[in-house]
Amino acid sequence: MKYFYLLFMCLLKNSVCLDYDGWLNIKLEHNINCKNENFCSRGNISLKSIKAGSAVIDQISFTKSHIDELKEHADIDGLYSIRSLVTSADSKETEFLSSVKAKLFLENRLSDVISAWILPNGDVIAITFQVNSYSSHNHSLQYDQAEYPLHSNFYIRHVDQAPVPDTASYIQKLEREREAREKGDLKDNRSFLAKYWMYIVPIAIFVMISGVTNPEPAPQASR
Amino acid sequence: MCIYEDQIGKFDWRQTYVGRIKFAQFDTVSTAKRIIVATEENVLAALNLKTGQVVWRHVFESASSGNIQLLHVGEKITTVTGSNPYLVRGWDSASGVLMWEWTLALQNDQQAVYSEWWVQNNKLVHLLPVIGSHLEVTMYNLLTGSNRGATSKLPAVWNNDGCVLTAPYYTCVSGNMGSQILLSLDVTSNVIQIISKPLSNFINLKESIGGNLRPLDNSVVPGFIVDDKKVLLIKENSFEAVGKELVDEMASATVIDGGNEQVLLQTWQDDEKGFQLTAYSISTNSEVTEIQCSDPTMSIPEAEFLAVMCSRKAKEQYACRLLVNAADDALHLMQQGGRSLWTREEALANVVTAEFVDLPVSDTEAAIESEFDQKEGSVWSAFSRRLHTQYTQLQNLIRNLQGQSAPEDSTNALVRDYFNLHKIMVLITEAGKKLHALVLLDEDETVQVFPISAAPLVENLYMYVAEKETGKVQGYALKYNGVSVEAQRTWSVQLGGPGPAQIVAVATRSRLERVRSPGRALADRSVLYKYSNPNLVLFVVEKPDPTHKEVVTAVVLDAVTGALLGASSHRRARALPLAVHADNCFAYLYRSEKHRRLEIATLELYEGQERWLEPDVAFSSFASDRAPAVERQAYILPATAAAAAFTITERSLADRHVLLGLTTGAVIEIPWAYLEARRGLTGGDEALLPYTPELPLPSEASLNYNRTVERVRGVLTAPAGLESTSLVLVTGLDLFYTRVAPSKTFDLLKDDFDYYLITIVLGALIVATYSTKYFASRKMLKLAWK
Repeated sequence: MKYFYLLFMCLLKNSVCLDYDGWLNIKLEHNINCKNENFCSRGNISLKSIKAGSAVIDQISFTKSHIDELKEHADIDGLYSIRSLVTSADSKETEFLSSVKAKLFLENRLSDVISAWILPNGDVIAITFQVNSYSSHNHSLQYDQAEYPLHSNFYIRHVDQAPVPDTASYIQKLEREREAREKGDLKDNRSFLAKYWMYIVPIAIFVMISGVTNPEPAPQASR
Repeated sequence: MCIYEDQIGKFDWRQTYVGRIKFAQFDTVSTAKRIIVATEENVLAALNLKTGQVVWRHVFESASSGNIQLLHVGEKITTVTGSNPYLVRGWDSASGVLMWEWTLALQNDQQAVYSEWWVQNNKLVHLLPVIGSHLEVTMYNLLTGSNRGATSKLPAVWNNDGCVLTAPYYTCVSGNMGSQILLSLDVTSNVIQIISKPLSNFINLKESIGGNLRPLDNSVVPGFIVDDKKVLLIKENSFEAVGKELVDEMASATVIDGGNEQVLLQTWQDDEKGFQLTAYSISTNSEVTEIQCSDPTMSIPEAEFLAVMCSRKAKEQYACRLLVNAADDALHLMQQGGRSLWTREEALANVVTAEFVDLPVSDTEAAIESEFDQKEGSVWSAFSRRLHTQYTQLQNLIRNLQGQSAPEDSTNALVRDYFNLHKIMVLITEAGKKLHALVLLDEDETVQVFPISAAPLVENLYMYVAEKETGKVQGYALKYNGVSVEAQRTWSVQLGGPGPAQIVAVATRSRLERVRSPGRALADRSVLYKYSNPNLVLFVVEKPDPTHKEVVTAVVLDAVTGALLGASSHRRARALPLAVHADNCFAYLYRSEKHRRLEIATLELYEGQERWLEPDVAFSSFASDRAPAVERQAYILPATAAAAAFTITERSLADRHVLLGLTTGAVIEIPWAYLEARRGLTGGDEALLPYTPELPLPSEASLNYNRTVERVRGVLTAPAGLESTSLVLVTGLDLFYTRVAPSKTFDLLKDDFDYYLITIVLGALIVATYSTKYFASRKMLKLAWK
């Protein structure tokens, strides 16, 4: 039985910097319930266009035997490994490997985050799996059904262009500052008070203080 | 970083080196006693004969254009450097000043590598042997380079690749096995005169393969060794066998002119008897015992005579100076009888890596530490322990006052000082042995642990293996299964994509590094939390690109899970092997081909305004699935860097600075505030400097003021016991050591703190207090009497 999971990713900002577009196919294999081989199929992710970023994820559901083997791994604090084989329009199959802790994977209801890192020229440099820890409080999860769907989120992560030392806008900024300074020198259109308040305030205070102390000799003079 | 003139050499030292010696000659012409050396590191230098210190030094290009082909010391020093075209230069031996220079380009570029050079009668002789055909000999005027005439071609069909040159004779063994002939030719004489003798005249051809020639090392008489056994000299156009054979096959041999007789010197390293030196007078057929030496305590591996000078005073007393080169790149100057006058450890010019090691604490401090370590026990036992330590301390004090220093103090003079500023540096050089790693991962993914007893300690250990040439990085989880340690491959990424790529730089955090704070305060009083993952590694990958020539990609990944946390790519750039990482900061250098300049890019990872984990929860790479925000910035570096490092302090409370070793020989200190990735043009945050595209490199930022470090190769840092201070070692051709205080020396009194003044002021105040008290009481008394 197949479980279809469709996810649309629209990273408009990142998709602009990509100077290549093409299809991508990621074959997923894992290391549990594989009888004789090390890895066996878990599913497939296919993209018609890397730029658009919409992926069709097609994965198996875990059966009781999958869960049992995962539990075995979890008991010895073992790892659940996923091998991904990437094929694209102009490159042959590239292998990637990633692992998560089996225990965490079980605790989080078999949900994971798959990230594909893509260079600006369309080359895939890494496929990484991480356990989606949104439900980490739910430790008492019971596995008593016949089948368990996998909850996978797939993201395309583009390797961005690094910033270059921005000399042009720095020079512009300096120009602007210089212009502003020159203008400031020509005319100061602030009010009289705004310009010379620092001289006025001390004089005012002095006058006030002397005004308070002066009235005392006044009655003496009248005597 | 700025120091006053009187602080020069107070916290820092520099040691200058020249590299492994290639050629050496005693400067006998000038009055100042010197040794002129030319080295494998392309350095020409004059060493003081008495002390071995560098008098002057010229560092040539490190590429093949700086290779020294010839060193000749006459009235002036002559060198031939480069590899077609060659540069012929004359130097003043006293000052090292360049006197003349001319270039020489050979027509035959492919054969040029076989060139031989020497100086004879103020003429530079160039010999180019063409195997199986002829010898080309050209003479040039040493000062001007003008050619005397055409190149003379001497026919020599017997010329083969086993020939040796002992100027001016060119000697070969030719002929069939068993009937070889020894041929020798003076290539500079006007008349071609070949000396030829059957080889069987000198050695028994049945016992040896025959025909292996080795020239004598820097001999005054042209001569060579046949089959590592027989020594032959060329005198008056004939071969002359020396009465004594080589004692050891590996021995270095030379013939010296000792007054009126010639002496054959030999030196070698015996496994049991140690360093050996023998002398044999050729004319009298007797041993010269006063030069000879056999010292089991001395070890000079693969000793080789570089230059030997002997003079004979009255009563047949020899006065010799022997300059000996060793396999460990050490240079020894010895006198007759094997007494070493000085030694230069030239291997230190090629330091591969270094480690700072703490000195042990002194006995008294160890006692105090052990006292406070013991947590268990009742109050009474702690009290008695306290009394006991104080009693021993009192005893020590009394003993010190009586002038008897404790006997154990003299035995371990190397104890830790109060601020842990003195450390032992362990330097690993190219010529030496390397230390064993504790855990090794084989090519076939099996794990070896040294020592084996440490295997059960392997738990939660993760390793990564980066294939430099392909850009593939793989991670392994190591686990002890009760019997042995197993490695499981857990992740694998292809940092350059499927095509060709190269990992140029890898930066990991220093194991001495600590994280001080979880975040940084912003101007609006909120906190920006750092992404402090201790398992981060920065990879800088270079990859050819069809449209942008080369693309440099920097990738930050978690070495435990293999998860990528940030990446950025630079078009039309070349990666440099310079990358540093500490806490959440990354910096790497690359050359921008588009703008033809060096740029430094910085990355900082932040969690954001909210903390992801509770304050006391330990970080786990496996449990996190959130991607940190990556701040990025790039700056222009108006210099060329050869090494980079972060300063490290004990608790990382002090600021973090970046140290860059430049090709100019300066080591500059750039505060991280200048490199911060969050610096923006608009300057929204008051704590940040507004963005300036070019980094300022003021001359005050140079750590090594005018003490240039030639060919900087690495900058190493270590924390001192003082929080403000970080220790810095710069390696290269020279070694330079200093200490830096990134946040100024806030925990130290100033260097020029006036102790006397404060003592006098305090004393005067006390005196004044008591005297006023006395006067006041007297005044009261007088008042009472009134």
